[in-house]
Amino acid sequence: MSERLIVIGGGGAGTAASTIAKRANPDMRVAVFSEFPDIAYSPCGIPYAHGREIPEFQNLFLSTVQRYVEDGLEMNMETTVTDIDLDRRTVTARNKHEGFDKLILCTGFHWEQPAVPGANLEGLHYVKDIRRAIEFDKELDSMKRAVIIGGMWLGVEMAGALARRGLEVQFIDEGPWLLSELVDPDVAEPAQEALEKLGVNVRMGTKLLGFAGGPDGRVRAVSTSAGELECDVAVICLHKLPNTSLASSIGLSLGTTGAVVVDDHMRTSAPGVWAAGDVIEVPHGLSMLPISGLTGSHAYSQGRVAGANAAGENRTYDPVWIPWGFMSGDYTIGGFSIGETLAEAMGIPYVVAKGVGVSRARYFPGAARTHVKLIAEPGTLRLIGAQLHGGEGIKERCDFLAFVGKRGATLEDLAWMENIYSPPIGALYEPIQIAAQNGLAEQKARQREAVPA
Amino acid sequence: MRPQAFDERKRRLRARSEHVLRMAAMDDVARRYPSRTVPSALSHEGPFWRLVFVPLYRRVPWEVKRNAMRKLKMTAQGWPEQSRTFGEPWRPPAGEPLKRPANGSTPRSGA
Repeated sequence: MSERLIVIGGGGAGTAASTIAKRANPDMRVAVFSEFPDIAYSPCGIPYAHGREIPEFQNLFLSTVQRYVEDGLEMNMETTVTDIDLDRRTVTARNKHEGFDKLILCTGFHWEQPAVPGANLEGLHYVKDIRRAIEFDKELDSMKRAVIIGGMWLGVEMAGALARRGLEVQFIDEGPWLLSELVDPDVAEPAQEALEKLGVNVRMGTKLLGFAGGPDGRVRAVSTSAGELECDVAVICLHKLPNTSLASSIGLSLGTTGAVVVDDHMRTSAPGVWAAGDVIEVPHGLSMLPISGLTGSHAYSQGRVAGANAAGENRTYDPVWIPWGFMSGDYTIGGFSIGETLAEAMGIPYVVAKGVGVSRARYFPGAARTHVKLIAEPGTLRLIGAQLHGGEGIKERCDFLAFVGKRGATLEDLAWMENIYSPPIGALYEPIQIAAQNGLAEQKARQREAVPA
Repeated sequence: MRPQAFDERKRRLRARSEHVLRMAAMDDVARRYPSRTVPSALSHEGPFWRLVFVPLYRRVPWEVKRNAMRKLKMTAQGWPEQSRTFGEPWRPPAGEPLKRPANGSTPRSGA
């Protein structure tokens, strides 16, 4: 009898792990257990479907459960695994024991819930499951006012989406500027302006005190340090927390983020058990400190590595440099690794190189300003982070900078990089080049100042 | 102390120290961009953390802090060490160079 692999979880990591394992070892019997009815859809697209930029939720589905069955996977949908017995090599689901030889945990995350009065009221919405999102979308038709709580990127996306949908949107966050856990104030400012342009009332430095309910048990207002904000719905967008209940129950090592510890092969502390996605922590390439709650693309890549290794291959996953980016209203912000604030918090010495360029030739219609801020090590001027904002091309630049940062590029390298000049798609001077050149000039000026005349 | 209790303490230590260091950094960065920020409503930790821990942490050079975190096993275990240390010029990652397989195709690695 061939080996049986059980994958728990049908999100990005679980889907990737199961399909890659089957592809790498077609003889292996691969079974997926998911508590949800759907697979292979894009949860990241949900805010844009609410905002009608994506016309139908159906567009978010990339494949069907049947398709995976046809590919030879055993799909156990709406089947929650309640117990794992590592000694007997079984999982329990629907009171039935299922044997396995190898196991991959992709149990994902759950949202942090606010610890304030009224947090259990009806009408508090968390963005996760697509079926719930489709129901919520119908409810939105009869809603007029929404309060978005929490300054992570999903909150910004949801605020923009609900404003586009015509709701009166209040956005509250305790931080001193928008997305203060992620970006620096100079990058946050245009992002906030873009939200305000859509009509979102952004209230930074505002503390959530509680939720007030109506006689029907639904939220009717959000109580804050800036007063009571009446609403039909409150959308909670706090931190992602790893869903480790199964992992803890079998004694897997958890790390300093509270997520499952894995090595570079996605192996957990138990033999024959791998894990991937939002349930694990992986090291940041700069500090080697473990971090968790990354993006869908990280989950997918980790799932691929776990699946390949469970199928007998030998693949490794690198420490992460985290290219990121998203839309705030009609404006794009992005970056990789760290910005000024995080460097300051960690106590990492840094120098800043800033520049502004254009996304196309200056004279070409649609050219947009591209703001680049590079963070580099003093002395070596090696790139350790970046934050960008502007119009088109931000995502590609962030991907590029994360890659060259990981490979050790310096401001000197970037100042003299080659670039494409083609009026509709790129200007003569690449904005990254401009920032690096400015950074070098500033360093030289400082050196001259430091040398006594 | 049981390993689980020790791990839980490490988690709490990390969460709390990250929070106070981030708060202190936000205050400093906000001073640089006064027109773009508002007073934070995030909760402040007690005086020990603000008046003792943050200034002490800031006095210690990053490389010393990194080594200490590694020794305390706060950094990721089971992962190859970085190919270079802080401040050191870039060099190729350690380890065996990629070998071209007999069929001449390009070897694949990573995800």
